[in-house]
Amino acid sequence: MGHSPPRTNAKGLAAMMRTLSLVAGALIAIAACKSSSNEVVVYTSVDQVFSEPVFRAFERESGVRVRAVFDTEETKSTGVLNRLIAEADRPQADVFWSGDPVRPFLLIKRNLVEPYISPNASGLAEGLRAADGTWTGFAARARVLLVNKNKVGKEDLPKSIRDLANPRWKGQTTIANPLFGTTTMHVAALFAAWGDDATKHFMTDLKANDVRIASSNGEVKRLVVAGEVAFGLTDIDDANEAIKDGAPVEVVYPDQDGLGTLVMPTTVVLMRGGPHTANGKKLVDHLLSADVERQMAESAAHMPLRADVPTPATVRRVGDIRAMKTDYAKVADEIERIQPWLRAWSGL
Amino acid sequence: MVGSLIRALRRREQPIVLAIAGAAIVVLAILPIALVLVGVDLGGLSALASVRTWTLLGRTLAIALAVVLVTLAIGVPLGVLLGRTDVPLRRVLWLVHAFPMFLPPFLPALGWFHLFGSQGLIGSSGTAGVLFGDLGFVLVLGVTFAPIVTSLTALGVMGVDASLEESARIVARPWRVSSRILVPAAAPAVALSAIVVFALALSEIGVAMFLRVDLYSAAVFARLGGVDFAPGEALALALPLVPITLALLAAERRFAARRSFAVLGLRAARDPLPLRRWRVPATLACVAATVISIAPLVALAVRYGGAPGVAEWASDAPWNGLLASAVAATIITMLGLIIGHASARRLPGATLLDSACMLAFVMPAAILGVGVMKLWNSPDTQLVYGTLAIVVIGFVARYVVVGVRVVACAVAQSSVHLEEAAAASGARFGRRLVRIVLPVHARGIAFAWLLALVFCLRDIETVILFYPPGSEPLTVRIFTLEANGPPAVVAGLCLVHVAITAAMITLGALVVRRRR
Repeated sequence: MGHSPPRTNAKGLAAMMRTLSLVAGALIAIAACKSSSNEVVVYTSVDQVFSEPVFRAFERESGVRVRAVFDTEETKSTGVLNRLIAEADRPQADVFWSGDPVRPFLLIKRNLVEPYISPNASGLAEGLRAADGTWTGFAARARVLLVNKNKVGKEDLPKSIRDLANPRWKGQTTIANPLFGTTTMHVAALFAAWGDDATKHFMTDLKANDVRIASSNGEVKRLVVAGEVAFGLTDIDDANEAIKDGAPVEVVYPDQDGLGTLVMPTTVVLMRGGPHTANGKKLVDHLLSADVERQMAESAAHMPLRADVPTPATVRRVGDIRAMKTDYAKVADEIERIQPWLRAWSGL
Repeated sequence: MVGSLIRALRRREQPIVLAIAGAAIVVLAILPIALVLVGVDLGGLSALASVRTWTLLGRTLAIALAVVLVTLAIGVPLGVLLGRTDVPLRRVLWLVHAFPMFLPPFLPALGWFHLFGSQGLIGSSGTAGVLFGDLGFVLVLGVTFAPIVTSLTALGVMGVDASLEESARIVARPWRVSSRILVPAAAPAVALSAIVVFALALSEIGVAMFLRVDLYSAAVFARLGGVDFAPGEALALALPLVPITLALLAAERRFAARRSFAVLGLRAARDPLPLRRWRVPATLACVAATVISIAPLVALAVRYGGAPGVAEWASDAPWNGLLASAVAATIITMLGLIIGHASARRLPGATLLDSACMLAFVMPAAILGVGVMKLWNSPDTQLVYGTLAIVVIGFVARYVVVGVRVVACAVAQSSVHLEEAAAASGARFGRRLVRIVLPVHARGIAFAWLLALVFCLRDIETVILFYPPGSEPLTVRIFTLEANGPPAVVAGLCLVHVAITAAMITLGALVVRRRR
């Protein structure tokens, strides 16, 4: 019935295995040869959907290939940070573009950052960059309350993050898991501003008020847009996405008559001992250009820190709001200190 | 002198080859875990004294058990119907129903979200409330993993001794034959499927985070993904999973070892069981189960709706994933051939190697990932660590057990006499392997390669910690884009992954059929 003689079959299979071996070797060799010197490696916790177009533009302008590692939404800001720390003995990244200004301090403390004062930093706000060039802030985000207008009337709009714990909204509010992402920084900033007792009390009140713990700020947006909750605490870029989608939502900059709204510049640092430091500096210069601030304002509602960058009508400037007075270095210390308490609070 | 040494080595060819394969397993899979183990934070052990830790573990075990029960409720009857009865188009229904098990679970979860989220195609706040919670998690994973039970049950009942079944059919109706003969005889396969589902549910992170369900695996991950990066502490927290893993291993050995893959084609053809008046309702049940299986994929297709930009956002990611998976599957198959064959023939050391492979599979992927970083991120290994080669290594470390087990089960089903006769005629191990084991088990080996490929293609959790910059596999790209990327584009990327997986399975099926 057409069966091949075993010997022929065996020869064929032996040949197949040899071929597979060669293919495996060749593919590994191809993979191994893929990297080149005219490239730069960047790790970023800025959303991929916003950061990748910036990298592509840099590639077109400079001819330098960008190899990027992006964070997942759930581990935002800490996934790649941990990778940077884990790779400290042999740094792989040239640049870290952080979605917030605190994580870089965790790298600075570990002596993983190479100070670099970019010529493009001169136009940026003074208080939002380090004088020694270890970190430079630009394109900032605000932490806002995203409100579903179908669930909350104009007259009932929340005004403060304390409204998240207001029994009136029991089970109707949400925040992202404070173990990850910008919510960690926000809680740490509250610890720095209010002190331990008041912040712990507030967090306990949140729990008692059945605040829903979303997996991410993007998830907070989803819950609010879907009307599953009345309002939630999220980042302005997530809120802006909901507005762009035409969702029935309103953005509230909280605590305008008190503590102020937490403002978080995205932050760029040059990594010490990275494999392509010269190209890393080029990328840092590019990120700190007015053009990137404009791009981030248009695509992701980030607030430019340069006065001369035009903004869309929906994007407010830092100077137009009451910003929370924040010592980012102190917040970085708080973040590490409060971790055990936060884990206990989260049940993890 | 040299000649006698070579002759002596040739006489011991098989142990030497096995030792080399074992060394590869140690370097690729065990050493990374050991490196993390060395760094275990003794202070982290205090987490084990917390009631909360054990409560969370208990809750996780209960949820995993609930997932198993759902999969058994769906999969066992469906497996019998599709495997041994005269349900029309049962092979097609089986194939379509089984397909989602080859995908990363968060893809179907995303599809269910597009269906039953509050703004889903047929969603409301009520359905969303169910979806985002324990019940939703159990149902989503239950439906996603049910095809594992279905397939193994079907393969199990197809492998039941024909004489047993035919004797029973003389005196009993099909229902009784199924419940009293087929299912009990296929119990090892069903047990294996339950064990696999339990292990997968226990280690699931992506779906749990997406559906906001607290699981023990998330607690371990929090030590790696949170601010206080503490891999040693994560490992300490993972210690309670070790006895659970060992229990699963013992259960697998007790109920399923060597009998689990009756899969590989030594079954005798026979007539299907006639369902008679139950044929129509049974067919409807099979169709319904199949529709439910692929409903989330249909929802993804609807959500995609031909949106532009998928190719741009996909970038090189599909190629990266496919390339790394194909190379890894090839290496896994080669190692599987040596270790799996040794395991089936009960050679000394083979069981230990088999267990080592299984340990790397069931160990939380994040711990293996941290170990891989520690081991390979050194100045001398940058050509590996900075390229796709590190993804290949991660895949091989995690999924080598797939190749080992499939080959072991295939070889165990055949008589050792051919190999013994060849050995008596002077054929050394290499020759026997190439001239006898390979041709006789070509289908099983091809199946091992295909299964390893699919496991690698669906992986996220292993490589997300160390994928090379700019060379992420498609699953990782979908995961990093999922929360904030355009939903239609993300759905489109999911469909690209579905298409690649479907193409590979079809190609593999054609190869396997040709080798019949």
